Amino acid sequence: MPSELLDGQSVRDESAGGIIAGKGTMADSLPESGVHAAFLHHRAQLLRFIAARGGGADAEDVLQEVWLRISTAQSGPVANPLSYLYRVANTVLIDRYRARRQAVLRDRAWSETQGGSDIAVSDAPSAERIVLARDLARAVEALLARLHPPRVAAIFRRHRIDGMGQRQIAAEFGISLSTVEADLRIAYRALAELREQFDAG
Amino acid sequence: MQPDEQLREEALAWAVRTLDPAFADWDAFTHWLEANPAHAAAYDRIAAAAMEAGELSPAPAAANDVQEASTIRRQVGRRWFAGGLAACAAGLLAVGLWQQATPDLYSRQTAPGQVLAIDLGDGSRIHLAGDSRIELDRDNLRFARLERGRALFTIHHDEANPFRVEAGGHELLDVGTVFDVRDDAAGFSVAVQEGAVMVDPHDVKVRLDAGDQLAIAPGSDRMVVSEIAAADIGTWRDGRLTFASASLAEVAAELARASGHRFITAPGAPRGSLTGSILVDAVRRDPASAGALLGVAVWRQGDAWMIEGP
Repeated sequence: MPSELLDGQSVRDESAGGIIAGKGTMADSLPESGVHAAFLHHRAQLLRFIAARGGGADAEDVLQEVWLRISTAQSGPVANPLSYLYRVANTVLIDRYRARRQAVLRDRAWSETQGGSDIAVSDAPSAERIVLARDLARAVEALLARLHPPRVAAIFRRHRIDGMGQRQIAAEFGISLSTVEADLRIAYRALAELREQFDAG
Repeated sequence: MQPDEQLREEALAWAVRTLDPAFADWDAFTHWLEANPAHAAAYDRIAAAAMEAGELSPAPAAANDVQEASTIRRQVGRRWFAGGLAACAAGLLAVGLWQQATPDLYSRQTAPGQVLAIDLGDGSRIHLAGDSRIELDRDNLRFARLERGRALFTIHHDEANPFRVEAGGHELLDVGTVFDVRDDAAGFSVAVQEGAVMVDPHDVKVRLDAGDQLAIAPGSDRMVVSEIAAADIGTWRDGRLTFASASLAEVAAELARASGHRFITAPGAPRGSLTGSILVDAVRRDPASAGALLGVAVWRQGDAWMIEGP
């Protein structure tokens, strides 16, 4: 069960609307804190990162989403506010990539069946898509079970599901940090290939 | 090494490093991204697959999961076992057997102050408010049981296979929908922002359309249906709490859930009638500010914040 809020790996706030909308500047809508102050101070640096990360034309939108997330999801003091902001921005960009990919898949599956409706929420879900999500979950399970050494799957779960840091995992398993990294590379590579097979249909 | 393969190796290494909570060398990562526009896309593919797999994959069978599984088993036992079988002792073996015969249930829960977005994969989404717990079924994506707290459901409607929610002993059937469900110490409520919801379709059959809210006070079985501005529903997801004729108990429960601070009301507090809107972030930083913003008195009492009516 993911519980590490700051990691942002699955605690995602996907609010699309507006605390900020209709307000004055970002700065005067909320009280200052370490993270908010760092945001305002390092805005240009974050924009550069977002652009390099492929955010391009949407960089300002992405930045606004980062602001929203830090305004709604912050749970306590943050040790390194700038690093935290980078992490949130990175997660926003990964989420956007995932949403784009889902939309492409959906369009492909439904291009011929959907007629007049333009309201996403009222569109009927694709039976295939439901099956796809379930199949993918099962395929992930099967893939993790196949990975060698078996420690790889355990380390992946500890990291991505329990949210434990790589250094702590190294200590728990009694292995070096570089071994943990190598194991995670094995898992990530296999998972990326699996997902590519799914996307290819 | 082929250029493509080298790029992939580098992207893998960066994905592993950057997804670690302790990663801090974002400048070096930025430099790598800027070196080649293809880097970002390669990184996205790997990082997205890793994050997605973490969300799809169930927690490993640790000791506390046996406890959790046995709880779930009790709840579904009636439906899935013919009587006595359900009473057999919990244990790893029993859990293993049970998993073959029952829905593939799993739970997600939040701490106070969190909001968790759960993507059901078909475009349907659930936002789980703080201090809440929900149970989902991997084998039936059209089902959710809100065990406690609050959730906003944004559901892709499917006439043939409606989405079903169990909460507070009631059953809700979507008729094409965005709706908010709450079940906590301050009572049970359902509010419909878009579409319609059928409450207890096999029993009282109350249909709620957009802008309708159904509430049941704690300890009561009386359903009260009232109107609510559709725009005020589910605003907690965006970091804003909106109250319309809310009781002090409801306000305290909502503030606690969203901010992570403990809010309490005096025993026997009158059923107030508070209306207002408040940014969660402000309350998170300064719990006492809720007083001024909502026109109530708020003061510290031990580790909690006492709210007293207007």
